[in-house]
Amino acid sequence: MKLENRAPAEGINASHENPLKELAWLLTGSLAAVVAIVFSISLAAQWIAPRIPYKYEARLAASLPSFTTAPDTDQGRQVQAELQALADRLASRMQMPEGMIVRVGWRDDRIVNAYATLGGQMVFFGGLLKQLGSEDALAMVMAHELAHLKYRHASAALGRGVAVGVILSVISAELGRNAAGGLLNQAGVVTLLSFSRDQERAADEAALSAIAAEYGHLAGAFELFEVFQRQAGAKFEAAGAVEFLRTHPLTASRRAAIEHWAAANKVPTTGSPRPLPPAIAALREGARRNAKAS
Amino acid sequence: MLVSNLELVPGKRVTAHFGIVQGSTVRAKHVGKDIFAGLKNIVGGELKGYTELMQEAREESIQRMIAEAESMGANAILNVRFATTSIAAGAAEILAYGSAVRLEDI
Amino acid sequence: MLDLIQIGIFLALLAIGYFAGSIVERRHYASIRQRERAYADVLAFMVRFPPDRVTPQRAFLVHGTVVVSSDYFKTFVASLRNLFGGRFRSYETLMERARREALLRLKADARRRGAKLVVCVRFETTTISSGWAPSMEVFAYGTALIPEGEAGAQSSGRSRLLGDGYARYAQPGP
Repeated sequence: MKLENRAPAEGINASHENPLKELAWLLTGSLAAVVAIVFSISLAAQWIAPRIPYKYEARLAASLPSFTTAPDTDQGRQVQAELQALADRLASRMQMPEGMIVRVGWRDDRIVNAYATLGGQMVFFGGLLKQLGSEDALAMVMAHELAHLKYRHASAALGRGVAVGVILSVISAELGRNAAGGLLNQAGVVTLLSFSRDQERAADEAALSAIAAEYGHLAGAFELFEVFQRQAGAKFEAAGAVEFLRTHPLTASRRAAIEHWAAANKVPTTGSPRPLPPAIAALREGARRNAKAS
Repeated sequence: MLVSNLELVPGKRVTAHFGIVQGSTVRAKHVGKDIFAGLKNIVGGELKGYTELMQEAREESIQRMIAEAESMGANAILNVRFATTSIAAGAAEILAYGSAVRLEDI
Repeated sequence: MLDLIQIGIFLALLAIGYFAGSIVERRHYASIRQRERAYADVLAFMVRFPPDRVTPQRAFLVHGTVVVSSDYFKTFVASLRNLFGGRFRSYETLMERARREALLRLKADARRRGAKLVVCVRFETTTISSGWAPSMEVFAYGTALIPEGEAGAQSSGRSRLLGDGYARYAQPGP
Protein backbone atom coordinates (compact mmCIF):
# COMPACT_ATOMS: atom_id res chain seq x y z
CA MET A 1 0.00 0.00 0.00
CA LYS A 2 1.28 3.39 -0.97
CA LEU A 3 1.62 6.07 1.69
CA GLU A 4 2.29 9.61 0.56
CA ASN A 5 1.15 13.18 1.03
CA ARG A 6 0.23 14.64 -2.35
CA ALA A 7 -0.30 18.37 -2.63
CA PRO A 8 -3.79 19.29 -3.90
CA ALA A 9 -4.30 21.90 -6.61
CA GLU A 10 -4.12 25.54 -5.53
CA GLY A 11 -7.08 27.88 -5.71
CA ILE A 12 -9.83 25.44 -4.74
CA ASN A 13 -10.57 26.74 -1.28
CA ALA A 14 -9.52 30.33 -1.87
CA SER A 15 -9.63 32.33 -5.04
CA HIS A 16 -6.56 34.38 -5.83
CA GLU A 17 -8.28 36.88 -8.06
CA ASN A 18 -7.81 40.57 -7.38
CA PRO A 19 -9.87 41.60 -4.33
CA LEU A 20 -10.27 45.09 -5.74
CA LYS A 21 -12.75 43.76 -8.25
CA GLU A 22 -14.99 42.46 -5.51
CA LEU A 23 -14.63 45.72 -3.60
CA ALA A 24 -15.63 47.74 -6.66
CA TRP A 25 -18.76 45.67 -7.18
CA LEU A 26 -19.83 45.73 -3.55
CA LEU A 27 -19.12 49.41 -3.09
CA THR A 28 -21.01 50.56 -6.14
CA GLY A 29 -23.87 48.22 -5.36
CA SER A 30 -24.28 49.28 -1.75
CA LEU A 31 -23.80 53.01 -2.37
CA ALA A 32 -26.24 52.93 -5.25
CA ALA A 33 -28.78 51.10 -3.11
CA VAL A 34 -28.44 53.51 -0.18
CA VAL A 35 -28.59 56.63 -2.34
CA ALA A 36 -31.57 55.32 -4.31
CA ILE A 37 -33.52 54.38 -1.19
CA VAL A 38 -32.76 57.61 0.66
CA PHE A 39 -33.52 59.70 -2.40
CA SER A 40 -36.87 58.11 -3.14
CA ILE A 41 -37.99 58.16 0.50
CA SER A 42 -36.93 61.80 0.81
CA LEU A 43 -38.80 62.71 -2.32
CA ALA A 44 -41.92 60.99 -1.07
CA ALA A 45 -41.70 62.59 2.39
CA GLN A 46 -41.04 65.98 0.87
CA TRP A 47 -44.00 65.68 -1.46
CA ILE A 48 -46.40 64.56 1.26
CA ALA A 49 -45.42 66.89 4.11
CA PRO A 50 -46.53 70.27 2.71
CA ARG A 51 -49.80 68.75 1.55
CA ILE A 52 -50.81 67.90 5.08
CA PRO A 53 -53.05 70.82 6.15
CA TYR A 54 -51.31 73.42 8.28
CA LYS A 55 -53.62 72.89 11.25
CA TYR A 56 -51.98 69.54 12.01
CA GLU A 57 -48.56 71.15 12.01
CA ALA A 58 -49.90 73.92 14.25
CA ARG A 59 -51.27 71.33 16.66
CA LEU A 60 -47.95 69.51 16.75
CA ALA A 61 -46.09 72.77 17.37
CA ALA A 62 -48.52 73.72 20.12
CA SER A 63 -47.70 70.51 21.97
CA LEU A 64 -43.99 71.45 22.02
CA PRO A 65 -42.56 74.22 24.23
CA SER A 66 -42.66 77.56 22.43
CA PHE A 67 -39.52 78.68 20.62
CA THR A 68 -40.52 82.32 20.40
CA THR A 69 -39.32 83.57 23.75
CA ALA A 70 -37.32 86.73 24.35
CA PRO A 71 -35.00 87.88 27.15
CA ASP A 72 -37.10 89.08 30.05
CA THR A 73 -35.85 92.66 30.00
CA ASP A 74 -37.26 95.88 28.60
CA GLN A 75 -34.71 95.83 25.82
CA GLY A 76 -35.53 92.19 25.14
CA ARG A 77 -39.21 92.86 24.75
CA GLN A 78 -38.67 95.97 22.59
CA VAL A 79 -36.38 94.10 20.24
CA GLN A 80 -38.94 91.32 19.96
CA ALA A 81 -41.71 93.79 19.19
CA GLU A 82 -39.64 95.37 16.40
CA LEU A 83 -38.78 91.99 14.95
CA GLN A 84 -42.42 90.98 15.02
CA ALA A 85 -43.46 94.22 13.29
CA LEU A 86 -40.92 93.69 10.52
CA ALA A 87 -42.05 90.07 10.14
CA ASP A 88 -45.70 91.04 9.81
CA ARG A 89 -44.85 93.69 7.22
CA LEU A 90 -42.85 91.30 5.08
CA ALA A 91 -45.31 88.43 5.53
CA SER A 92 -48.03 90.57 4.03
CA ARG A 93 -45.99 90.60 0.81
CA MET A 94 -45.65 86.82 0.71
CA GLN A 95 -48.61 84.48 0.50
CA MET A 96 -48.29 82.61 3.78
CA PRO A 97 -50.29 79.41 4.30
CA GLU A 98 -53.87 79.61 5.44
CA GLY A 99 -54.13 79.83 9.21
CA MET A 100 -50.41 80.39 9.89
CA ILE A 101 -49.66 82.97 12.56
CA VAL A 102 -46.07 84.13 12.25
CA ARG A 103 -44.31 84.63 15.59
CA VAL A 104 -40.78 85.84 16.23
CA GLY A 105 -38.51 85.35 19.22
CA TRP A 106 -34.85 85.98 19.89
CA ARG A 107 -32.04 84.86 22.19
CA ASP A 108 -29.13 86.95 23.35
CA ASP A 109 -26.51 84.48 22.17
CA ARG A 110 -23.30 85.07 20.26
CA ILE A 111 -24.38 82.76 17.44
CA VAL A 112 -24.67 84.51 14.08
CA ASN A 113 -27.74 82.72 12.83
CA ALA A 114 -31.53 82.59 12.63
CA TYR A 115 -33.94 79.75 11.94
CA ALA A 116 -37.55 78.96 11.16
CA THR A 117 -39.33 75.99 12.63
CA LEU A 118 -42.71 74.31 13.03
CA GLY A 119 -45.85 76.27 13.70
CA GLY A 120 -44.87 79.53 12.03
CA GLN A 121 -42.13 80.29 14.56
CA MET A 122 -38.86 82.11 13.84
CA VAL A 123 -35.92 82.59 16.15
CA PHE A 124 -33.09 85.12 15.78
CA PHE A 125 -29.82 85.06 17.68
CA GLY A 126 -28.20 88.15 19.18
CA GLY A 127 -24.96 87.53 17.33
CA LEU A 128 -26.73 88.06 14.00
CA LEU A 129 -28.69 91.13 15.16
CA LYS A 130 -25.47 92.77 16.32
CA GLN A 131 -23.67 92.13 13.03
CA LEU A 132 -26.23 93.61 10.62
CA GLY A 133 -25.96 97.30 9.80
CA SER A 134 -29.26 98.10 8.16
CA GLU A 135 -32.92 97.15 8.14
CA ASP A 136 -32.52 95.89 4.59
CA ALA A 137 -30.05 93.20 5.61
CA LEU A 138 -32.22 92.17 8.56
CA ALA A 139 -35.23 92.06 6.24
CA MET A 140 -33.36 89.74 3.86
CA VAL A 141 -32.80 87.25 6.68
CA MET A 142 -36.38 87.65 7.82
CA ALA A 143 -37.76 87.13 4.34
CA HIS A 144 -35.58 84.03 3.85
CA GLU A 145 -36.93 82.50 7.04
CA LEU A 146 -40.49 83.51 6.12
CA ALA A 147 -40.01 81.71 2.82
CA HIS A 148 -39.09 78.54 4.73
CA LEU A 149 -42.34 78.92 6.64
CA LYS A 150 -44.30 79.61 3.49
CA TYR A 151 -43.04 76.47 1.74
CA ARG A 152 -43.46 74.36 4.92
CA HIS A 153 -39.80 73.35 4.71
CA ALA A 154 -39.67 72.48 8.40
CA SER A 155 -42.38 69.85 7.99
CA ALA A 156 -40.74 68.43 4.90
CA ALA A 157 -37.39 68.22 6.69
CA LEU A 158 -39.05 66.50 9.62
CA GLY A 159 -40.68 63.92 7.37
CA ARG A 160 -37.45 63.30 5.49
CA GLY A 161 -35.43 63.10 8.67
CA VAL A 162 -37.71 60.53 10.30
CA ALA A 163 -37.98 58.31 7.24
CA VAL A 164 -34.29 58.38 6.41
CA GLY A 165 -33.34 58.02 10.06
CA VAL A 166 -35.22 54.74 10.22
CA ILE A 167 -33.49 53.42 7.10
CA LEU A 168 -30.02 54.44 8.23
CA SER A 169 -30.52 52.95 11.67
CA VAL A 170 -31.49 49.62 10.08
CA ILE A 171 -28.29 49.73 8.01
CA SER A 172 -26.24 50.64 11.10
CA ALA A 173 -27.77 47.83 13.07
CA GLU A 174 -26.85 45.39 10.32
CA LEU A 175 -23.31 46.54 9.81
CA GLY A 176 -22.45 47.58 13.32
CA ARG A 177 -20.26 50.55 14.07
CA ASN A 178 -17.54 49.65 11.62
CA ALA A 179 -16.27 51.53 8.62
CA ALA A 180 -18.80 50.16 6.18
CA GLY A 181 -21.69 51.28 8.37
CA GLY A 182 -20.16 54.72 8.67
CA LEU A 183 -19.62 54.95 4.94
CA LEU A 184 -23.19 54.04 4.02
CA ASN A 185 -24.52 56.36 6.72
CA GLN A 186 -22.47 59.20 5.22
CA ALA A 187 -23.80 58.39 1.78
CA GLY A 188 -27.35 58.65 3.12
CA VAL A 189 -26.63 61.93 4.90
CA VAL A 190 -24.97 63.41 1.83
CA THR A 191 -28.05 62.56 -0.23
CA LEU A 192 -30.23 64.27 2.36
CA LEU A 193 -28.08 67.38 2.31
CA SER A 194 -28.81 67.94 -1.36
CA PHE A 195 -32.48 68.32 -0.48
CA SER A 196 -31.55 70.82 2.22
CA ARG A 197 -29.55 72.86 -0.30
CA ASP A 198 -32.46 72.89 -2.73
CA GLN A 199 -34.66 74.25 0.05
CA GLU A 200 -32.20 77.03 0.81
CA ARG A 201 -32.06 78.06 -2.83
CA ALA A 202 -35.85 78.16 -3.04
CA ALA A 203 -36.04 80.25 0.14
CA ASP A 204 -33.45 82.70 -1.21
CA GLU A 205 -35.47 83.24 -4.35
CA ALA A 206 -38.77 83.82 -2.57
CA ALA A 207 -37.03 86.22 -0.16
CA LEU A 208 -35.64 88.28 -3.02
CA SER A 209 -39.14 88.88 -4.42
CA ALA A 210 -40.39 90.14 -1.06
CA ILE A 211 -37.36 92.39 -0.51
CA ALA A 212 -37.60 93.86 -3.97
CA ALA A 213 -41.29 94.60 -3.41
CA GLU A 214 -40.72 96.25 -0.01
CA TYR A 215 -37.48 98.16 -0.57
CA GLY A 216 -37.10 98.44 -4.34
CA HIS A 217 -33.47 97.27 -4.37
CA LEU A 218 -31.30 94.40 -3.16
CA ALA A 219 -28.53 96.21 -1.25
CA GLY A 220 -29.62 94.44 1.93
CA ALA A 221 -29.07 91.02 0.41
CA PHE A 222 -25.50 91.86 -0.59
CA GLU A 223 -24.75 93.33 2.80
CA LEU A 224 -25.99 90.12 4.40
CA PHE A 225 -23.67 87.95 2.34
CA GLU A 226 -20.73 90.21 3.16
CA VAL A 227 -21.44 89.45 6.81
CA PHE A 228 -21.62 85.69 6.09
CA GLN A 229 -18.38 85.67 4.21
CA ARG A 230 -16.66 87.55 7.00
CA GLN A 231 -18.01 85.00 9.47
CA ALA A 232 -17.01 81.90 7.56
CA GLY A 233 -13.61 83.30 6.77
CA ALA A 234 -13.20 84.08 3.10
CA LYS A 235 -10.08 81.96 2.83
CA PHE A 236 -11.91 78.86 4.06
CA GLU A 237 -14.44 79.00 1.28
CA ALA A 238 -11.98 80.05 -1.37
CA ALA A 239 -9.81 77.06 -0.52
CA GLY A 240 -12.36 74.88 -2.26
CA ALA A 241 -14.78 73.88 0.47
CA VAL A 242 -16.90 71.20 -1.09
CA GLU A 243 -20.58 71.90 -1.44
CA PHE A 244 -21.82 68.35 -1.19
CA LEU A 245 -21.02 68.12 2.52
CA ARG A 246 -22.90 71.30 3.49
CA THR A 247 -26.51 72.05 4.32
CA HIS A 248 -26.42 75.39 2.45
CA PRO A 249 -25.03 76.17 -0.98
CA LEU A 250 -21.66 77.94 -0.95
CA THR A 251 -21.98 81.63 -0.14
CA ALA A 252 -20.31 82.51 -3.42
CA SER A 253 -22.92 80.60 -5.39
CA ARG A 254 -25.73 82.22 -3.39
CA ARG A 255 -24.35 85.64 -4.26
CA ALA A 256 -24.14 84.66 -7.90
CA ALA A 257 -27.77 83.51 -7.72
CA ILE A 258 -28.86 86.90 -6.36
CA GLU A 259 -27.03 88.76 -9.11
CA HIS A 260 -28.60 86.49 -11.67
CA TRP A 261 -32.08 87.07 -10.24
CA ALA A 262 -31.54 90.82 -10.10
CA ALA A 263 -30.51 90.89 -13.74
CA ALA A 264 -33.41 88.67 -14.79
CA ASN A 265 -36.02 90.71 -12.90
CA LYS A 266 -34.42 94.10 -13.56
CA VAL A 267 -34.10 95.05 -9.88
CA PRO A 268 -31.19 97.32 -8.91
CA THR A 269 -28.53 95.75 -6.72
CA THR A 270 -27.58 98.95 -4.93
CA GLY A 271 -29.56 101.60 -3.18
CA SER A 272 -29.73 103.47 0.10
CA PRO A 273 -30.54 101.12 2.97
CA ARG A 274 -32.94 102.02 5.76
CA PRO A 275 -31.53 102.30 9.29
CA LEU A 276 -32.18 99.62 11.90
CA PRO A 277 -35.21 99.93 14.20
CA PRO A 278 -34.17 101.80 17.40
CA ALA A 279 -33.99 98.97 19.96
CA ILE A 280 -32.03 96.70 17.64
CA ALA A 281 -29.70 99.58 16.74
CA ALA A 282 -29.11 100.17 20.45
CA LEU A 283 -28.32 96.48 20.92
CA ARG A 284 -25.73 96.65 18.15
CA GLU A 285 -24.19 99.85 19.55
CA GLY A 286 -23.89 98.30 22.97
CA ALA A 287 -22.09 95.27 21.57
CA ARG A 288 -19.66 97.49 19.62
CA ARG A 289 -18.83 99.57 22.67
CA ASN A 290 -18.20 96.43 24.71
CA ALA A 291 -15.97 95.04 21.97
CA LYS A 292 -13.94 98.27 21.85
CA ALA A 293 -13.60 98.46 25.62
CA SER A 294 -12.32 94.87 25.94
CA MET B 1 -16.14 9.88 -5.72
CA LEU B 2 -17.09 7.97 -2.61
CA VAL B 3 -17.39 10.23 0.41
CA SER B 4 -17.91 8.70 3.81
CA ASN B 5 -17.05 9.16 7.44
CA LEU B 6 -16.29 5.45 7.69
CA GLU B 7 -12.72 4.38 8.31
CA LEU B 8 -13.14 1.12 6.35
CA VAL B 9 -15.61 0.53 3.55
CA PRO B 10 -16.96 -3.03 3.55
CA GLY B 11 -15.97 -4.93 0.43
CA LYS B 12 -13.24 -2.50 -0.59
CA ARG B 13 -9.55 -2.25 0.05
CA VAL B 14 -7.41 0.85 0.44
CA THR B 15 -4.43 0.63 -1.91
CA ALA B 16 -3.01 4.13 -1.42
CA HIS B 17 -3.30 6.98 1.06
CA PHE B 18 -2.79 10.45 -0.37
CA GLY B 19 -3.16 12.59 2.73
CA ILE B 20 -5.64 15.09 4.10
CA VAL B 21 -8.04 17.01 1.87
CA GLN B 22 -10.06 19.98 3.04
CA GLY B 23 -12.94 22.00 1.72
CA SER B 24 -14.08 25.17 3.37
CA THR B 25 -16.30 28.09 2.61
CA VAL B 26 -17.40 31.28 4.37
CA ARG B 27 -20.92 32.40 3.61
CA ALA B 28 -23.55 34.85 4.71
CA LYS B 29 -27.17 35.56 3.88
CA HIS B 30 -28.24 38.97 2.63
CA VAL B 31 -29.53 41.70 4.91
CA GLY B 32 -33.22 40.99 4.23
CA LYS B 33 -32.95 37.51 5.69
CA ASP B 34 -30.97 38.89 8.63
CA ILE B 35 -33.71 41.35 9.47
CA PHE B 36 -36.32 38.63 9.17
CA ALA B 37 -34.27 36.41 11.47
CA GLY B 38 -34.06 39.23 13.99
CA LEU B 39 -37.83 39.47 14.00
CA LYS B 40 -38.22 35.71 14.18
CA ASN B 41 -36.15 35.81 17.34
CA ILE B 42 -39.21 37.24 19.01
CA VAL B 43 -41.55 34.34 18.23
CA GLY B 44 -39.04 31.50 17.85
CA GLY B 45 -39.17 28.57 15.45
CA GLU B 46 -37.02 27.45 12.56
CA LEU B 47 -35.00 30.08 10.74
CA LYS B 48 -35.40 28.69 7.24
CA GLY B 49 -33.08 31.29 5.77
CA TYR B 50 -30.20 30.31 7.98
CA THR B 51 -30.91 26.60 7.58
CA GLU B 52 -30.56 27.12 3.84
CA LEU B 53 -27.36 29.07 4.40
CA MET B 54 -25.74 26.29 6.40
CA GLN B 55 -26.96 23.71 3.90
CA GLU B 56 -25.47 25.59 0.94
CA ALA B 57 -22.23 26.17 2.79
CA ARG B 58 -21.90 22.52 3.67
CA GLU B 59 -22.63 21.44 0.08
CA GLU B 60 -20.06 23.88 -1.23
CA SER B 61 -17.32 22.77 1.15
CA ILE B 62 -17.94 19.08 0.38
CA GLN B 63 -17.66 19.93 -3.32
CA ARG B 64 -14.35 21.68 -2.73
CA MET B 65 -13.03 18.77 -0.73
CA ILE B 66 -13.96 16.44 -3.60
CA ALA B 67 -12.21 18.80 -6.04
CA GLU B 68 -9.01 18.65 -3.98
CA ALA B 69 -9.16 14.86 -3.83
CA GLU B 70 -9.72 14.60 -7.57
CA SER B 71 -6.71 16.80 -8.22
CA MET B 72 -4.64 14.35 -6.17
CA GLY B 73 -5.84 11.37 -8.16
CA ALA B 74 -7.86 9.79 -5.36
CA ASN B 75 -11.18 8.04 -5.91
CA ALA B 76 -12.60 8.12 -2.38
CA ILE B 77 -12.58 10.27 0.73
CA LEU B 78 -12.86 8.49 4.05
CA ASN B 79 -12.98 9.65 7.67
CA VAL B 80 -14.84 12.82 6.77
CA ARG B 81 -15.33 15.29 9.63
CA PHE B 82 -17.00 18.71 9.81
CA ALA B 83 -16.09 21.82 11.80
CA THR B 84 -18.24 24.93 11.98
CA THR B 85 -17.36 28.42 13.18
CA SER B 86 -19.36 31.61 13.13
CA ILE B 87 -17.50 34.68 11.94
CA ALA B 88 -19.06 37.92 13.07
CA ALA B 89 -22.82 38.11 12.88
CA GLY B 90 -24.70 36.24 10.19
CA ALA B 91 -21.66 34.63 8.54
CA ALA B 92 -20.56 31.03 9.02
CA GLU B 93 -17.49 29.07 8.03
CA ILE B 94 -17.85 25.37 7.37
CA LEU B 95 -14.79 23.14 7.10
CA ALA B 96 -15.06 19.59 5.78
CA TYR B 97 -11.91 17.47 5.87
CA GLY B 98 -11.10 13.86 5.20
CA SER B 99 -8.59 11.28 4.01
CA ALA B 100 -8.07 11.03 0.28
CA VAL B 101 -7.50 7.37 -0.67
CA ARG B 102 -7.60 5.03 -3.62
CA LEU B 103 -10.10 2.27 -3.09
CA GLU B 104 -10.22 -1.01 -4.98
CA ASP B 105 -12.57 -3.91 -4.67
CA ILE B 106 -11.31 -6.76 -2.57
CA MET C 1 -13.92 69.94 7.04
CA LEU C 2 -13.95 67.33 9.76
CA ASP C 3 -15.85 65.02 7.45
CA LEU C 4 -13.13 65.30 4.84
CA ILE C 5 -10.48 64.42 7.40
CA GLN C 6 -12.48 61.37 8.48
CA ILE C 7 -12.90 60.27 4.88
CA GLY C 8 -9.15 60.76 4.36
CA ILE C 9 -8.23 58.63 7.37
CA PHE C 10 -10.59 55.92 6.25
CA LEU C 11 -9.13 55.84 2.74
CA ALA C 12 -5.59 55.79 4.13
CA LEU C 13 -6.38 52.83 6.39
CA LEU C 14 -8.05 51.05 3.51
CA ALA C 15 -5.01 51.59 1.27
CA ILE C 16 -2.60 50.41 3.97
CA GLY C 17 -4.81 47.39 4.63
CA TYR C 18 -4.90 46.51 0.95
CA PHE C 19 -1.23 46.96 0.06
CA ALA C 20 0.38 45.77 3.26
CA GLY C 21 -2.20 43.01 3.63
CA SER C 22 -1.61 41.64 0.14
CA ILE C 23 2.16 41.70 0.65
CA VAL C 24 1.83 39.82 3.95
CA GLU C 25 -0.48 37.30 2.31
CA ARG C 26 1.77 36.68 -0.66
CA ARG C 27 4.79 36.18 1.56
CA HIS C 28 2.88 33.83 3.80
CA TYR C 29 1.74 31.73 0.87
CA ALA C 30 5.29 31.57 -0.51
CA SER C 31 6.56 30.46 2.90
CA ILE C 32 3.79 27.86 3.19
CA ARG C 33 4.52 26.35 -0.24
CA GLN C 34 8.22 26.24 0.42
CA ARG C 35 7.78 24.54 3.78
CA GLU C 36 5.26 22.08 2.38
CA ARG C 37 7.94 20.92 -0.04
CA ALA C 38 10.49 20.74 2.78
CA TYR C 39 8.20 18.71 5.04
CA ALA C 40 7.07 16.35 2.30
CA ASP C 41 8.78 13.47 4.11
CA VAL C 42 6.67 13.79 7.27
CA LEU C 43 3.39 12.10 6.40
CA ALA C 44 0.09 13.12 7.99
CA PHE C 45 -3.13 11.17 7.65
CA MET C 46 -6.56 11.20 9.11
CA VAL C 47 -6.86 7.44 9.41
CA ARG C 48 -7.46 6.28 12.91
CA PHE C 49 -5.26 3.21 12.73
CA PRO C 50 -1.73 3.21 11.41
CA PRO C 51 -1.07 1.18 8.29
CA ASP C 52 1.48 -0.98 10.07
CA ARG C 53 -0.25 -2.56 13.05
CA VAL C 54 2.32 -5.16 13.90
CA THR C 55 5.49 -3.25 14.70
CA PRO C 56 5.57 -1.78 18.21
CA GLN C 57 5.47 1.99 17.98
CA ARG C 58 5.99 4.89 20.27
CA ALA C 59 2.97 7.17 20.10
CA PHE C 60 2.56 10.71 21.35
CA LEU C 61 0.31 13.68 20.65
CA VAL C 62 1.64 16.42 18.40
CA HIS C 63 -0.09 19.64 17.50
CA GLY C 64 0.26 22.88 15.61
CA THR C 65 -1.65 26.08 16.21
CA VAL C 66 -1.83 29.49 14.60
CA VAL C 67 -3.97 32.63 14.79
CA VAL C 68 -4.22 34.61 11.56
CA SER C 69 -5.77 38.04 11.64
CA SER C 70 -7.77 39.90 9.04
CA ASP C 71 -6.61 43.29 7.75
CA TYR C 72 -8.64 46.50 7.45
CA PHE C 73 -9.34 46.01 3.77
CA LYS C 74 -10.61 42.45 4.18
CA THR C 75 -12.85 43.44 7.09
CA PHE C 76 -14.33 46.33 5.16
CA VAL C 77 -15.06 44.21 2.09
CA ALA C 78 -16.57 41.53 4.33
CA SER C 79 -18.89 43.97 6.07
CA LEU C 80 -20.20 45.14 2.69
CA ARG C 81 -20.57 41.52 1.62
CA ASN C 82 -22.69 40.92 4.70
CA LEU C 83 -25.38 43.12 3.11
CA PHE C 84 -25.65 41.10 -0.05
CA GLY C 85 -24.84 37.58 1.09
CA GLY C 86 -22.82 34.97 -0.78
CA ARG C 87 -19.21 33.96 -0.63
CA PHE C 88 -16.65 35.87 1.43
CA ARG C 89 -13.67 35.72 -0.88
CA SER C 90 -11.66 37.91 1.47
CA TYR C 91 -11.97 35.59 4.46
CA GLU C 92 -11.46 32.35 2.55
CA THR C 93 -7.76 33.02 1.95
CA LEU C 94 -7.40 33.72 5.66
CA MET C 95 -8.84 30.34 6.59
CA GLU C 96 -6.77 28.47 4.03
CA ARG C 97 -3.54 30.06 5.19
CA ALA C 98 -4.37 29.33 8.82
CA ARG C 99 -5.15 25.68 8.14
CA ARG C 100 -2.11 24.97 6.04
CA GLU C 101 0.10 26.78 8.56
CA ALA C 102 -1.34 24.79 11.46
CA LEU C 103 -0.71 21.51 9.63
CA LEU C 104 2.86 22.57 8.86
CA ARG C 105 3.48 23.39 12.50
CA LEU C 106 2.10 19.99 13.46
CA LYS C 107 4.54 18.35 11.06
CA ALA C 108 7.36 20.48 12.42
CA ASP C 109 6.47 19.38 15.94
CA ALA C 110 6.48 15.75 14.82
CA ARG C 111 9.82 16.05 13.03
CA ARG C 112 11.40 17.84 15.95
CA ARG C 113 10.48 14.90 18.13
CA GLY C 114 11.83 12.40 15.64
CA ALA C 115 8.64 11.11 13.97
CA LYS C 116 7.94 10.66 10.28
CA LEU C 117 4.32 9.61 10.49
CA VAL C 118 1.32 11.31 12.07
CA VAL C 119 -2.07 9.63 12.14
CA CYS C 120 -5.54 10.57 13.31
CA VAL C 121 -5.14 14.27 12.50
CA ARG C 122 -8.06 16.50 13.51
CA PHE C 123 -8.71 20.24 13.14
CA GLU C 124 -10.44 22.70 15.46
CA THR C 125 -11.27 26.20 14.22
CA THR C 126 -12.34 29.19 16.28
CA THR C 127 -12.96 32.81 15.52
CA ILE C 128 -11.53 35.38 17.88
CA SER C 129 -13.15 38.76 17.40
CA SER C 130 -11.03 41.60 18.67
CA GLY C 131 -13.57 44.39 18.37
CA TRP C 132 -14.28 44.73 14.71
CA ALA C 133 -11.76 42.48 12.94
CA PRO C 134 -12.04 38.72 13.23
CA SER C 135 -9.01 36.47 13.62
CA MET C 136 -9.13 32.76 12.86
CA GLU C 137 -7.47 30.29 15.13
CA VAL C 138 -6.78 26.80 13.80
CA PHE C 139 -5.57 24.00 16.05
CA ALA C 140 -4.39 20.79 14.38
CA TYR C 141 -3.56 17.75 16.47
CA GLY C 142 -2.66 14.15 15.77
CA THR C 143 -0.74 11.16 17.00
CA ALA C 144 2.88 10.84 15.89
CA LEU C 145 4.31 7.33 15.57
CA ILE C 146 7.95 6.25 15.83
CA PRO C 147 8.68 2.53 15.33
CA GLU C 148 10.54 1.37 18.40
CA GLY C 149 14.22 0.88 18.08
CA GLU C 150 14.57 3.77 15.66
CA ALA C 151 17.23 6.44 16.07
CA GLY C 152 16.88 8.96 18.84
CA ALA C 153 14.26 7.10 20.84
CA GLN C 154 14.49 5.05 24.01
CA SER C 155 11.16 3.41 24.11
CA SER C 156 9.26 4.34 27.24
CA GLY C 157 7.16 1.24 27.27
CA ARG C 158 5.41 -0.43 24.41
CA SER C 159 2.18 0.71 22.97
CA ARG C 160 0.40 -1.54 20.62
CA LEU C 161 -2.22 -0.07 18.43
CA LEU C 162 -3.91 -3.27 17.48
CA GLY C 163 -7.57 -3.98 17.30
CA ASP C 164 -8.21 -7.70 16.99
CA GLY C 165 -11.59 -7.18 15.47
CA TYR C 166 -9.96 -5.41 12.55
CA ALA C 167 -7.39 -8.15 11.91
CA ARG C 168 -9.48 -9.19 8.89
CA TYR C 169 -8.82 -5.81 7.30
CA ALA C 170 -5.12 -5.64 8.10
CA GLN C 171 -3.27 -4.50 5.03
CA PRO C 172 -0.11 -6.08 3.71
CA GLY C 173 2.97 -4.04 4.57
CA PRO C 174 4.02 -1.05 2.45
